[in-house]
Amino acid sequence: MVCLVGPASIRAPKEDTVRALVIVPAYNEARSLPTLLPAIREAMPAADICVVDDGSDDETAAIAAAHGAVVLRNAVNLGIGGAVQAGYLWARDHGYEVAVQVDGDGQHDPRSVPLLLAPIAEGGADLVIGSRFLTAGGFRSTALRRAGIRYLSWFIAMRCGARVSDPTSGLRAAGRRAIELFARAYPSDYPEPESIPIAIRAGLRVTEQATEMAPRRHGRSSIGASQTLYYLMKVSLALILLPQHPNRRDAR
Amino acid sequence: MTSAEAISPQLRIFGAAVLLVFVGWVVRLVRTERLTLRDSLLWLLSTLVALVTIAFPELLFETAHLLGVQVPSNALFVLTILYLLLNLFSVTVGVSFVSARTRRLTQECALLRAEIELLRGDRSSAAHPSEA
Repeated sequence: MVCLVGPASIRAPKEDTVRALVIVPAYNEARSLPTLLPAIREAMPAADICVVDDGSDDETAAIAAAHGAVVLRNAVNLGIGGAVQAGYLWARDHGYEVAVQVDGDGQHDPRSVPLLLAPIAEGGADLVIGSRFLTAGGFRSTALRRAGIRYLSWFIAMRCGARVSDPTSGLRAAGRRAIELFARAYPSDYPEPESIPIAIRAGLRVTEQATEMAPRRHGRSSIGASQTLYYLMKVSLALILLPQHPNRRDAR
Repeated sequence: MTSAEAISPQLRIFGAAVLLVFVGWVVRLVRTERLTLRDSLLWLLSTLVALVTIAFPELLFETAHLLGVQVPSNALFVLTILYLLLNLFSVTVGVSFVSARTRRLTQECALLRAEIELLRGDRSSAAHPSEA
């Protein structure tokens, strides 16, 4: 399905800018969005913003629309994987060259988004993961979670050879090939680590970029402390049992 | 080995009656289109196997003997549990399949709705303020 309609597609390309879409998955983030969306706009003035309202009960959709974002309203809550994939489908169908994921809870600093785009613009990468562990400072999460992230990083290196220091990071930029891959096949539940080997195996070039993150300001993480172990086991199993034919998954 | 009398005729008639009523019910659901033929197949097939076992209990005793089960009724329980697990698992597979489709359809609805909003121009100026 290609729906090249609306102002997005008839806009003349600007010099020095690629057509970029910022995908913001949001579930009940009405309190974060009023600060997050203007910050994204400031950091990426030429980019379009697409907020995926994943079945929120609050004013998430209305606030996003009021801030000038395209709003994808999931009628039922699909979880982060289904929400992010909706954004990639939008990016694919509207011919965006790059898509950047920024979590709706405000833990990602939009000012680091242009940094993520650089490797893609230079043609050196298809997927760039924002990592909070490549620089000193910033929010680094709890010790337990850091240990879990180190383990996942090691596991992914074992599984597909990718060196990614922060595989759970939801701050990432995707070039055209990654957009097309993720629109077809994006994992559900806890998709961030799993999506990396899926990209590698599809022949994409994955790199990482140092960014700073902040603790979330409002609401609760989708993963509680007691669920960290479940998270690690589920993700490990997912990494072992990668889909055989990622292109066929979620086939239309 | 226990003889064929281990299953009383009354029990066999009762069991067969229950299974036949069940088959009749499934057939009725299929014919009134409340159950698809595809989803009913595994139930019909496994119920047929149960009916054959009731009609020819010797098969059950043979199976018990082959499995090395001393008491044939235990073999019956094992087979019953397998029957239930098989049908339950096929439902789980079906639910996974359906939820993948629901996910895709939900996304498609969201995309179409956003598309309509853009076409209507509800927020055409707001959605692309870089032009405004």
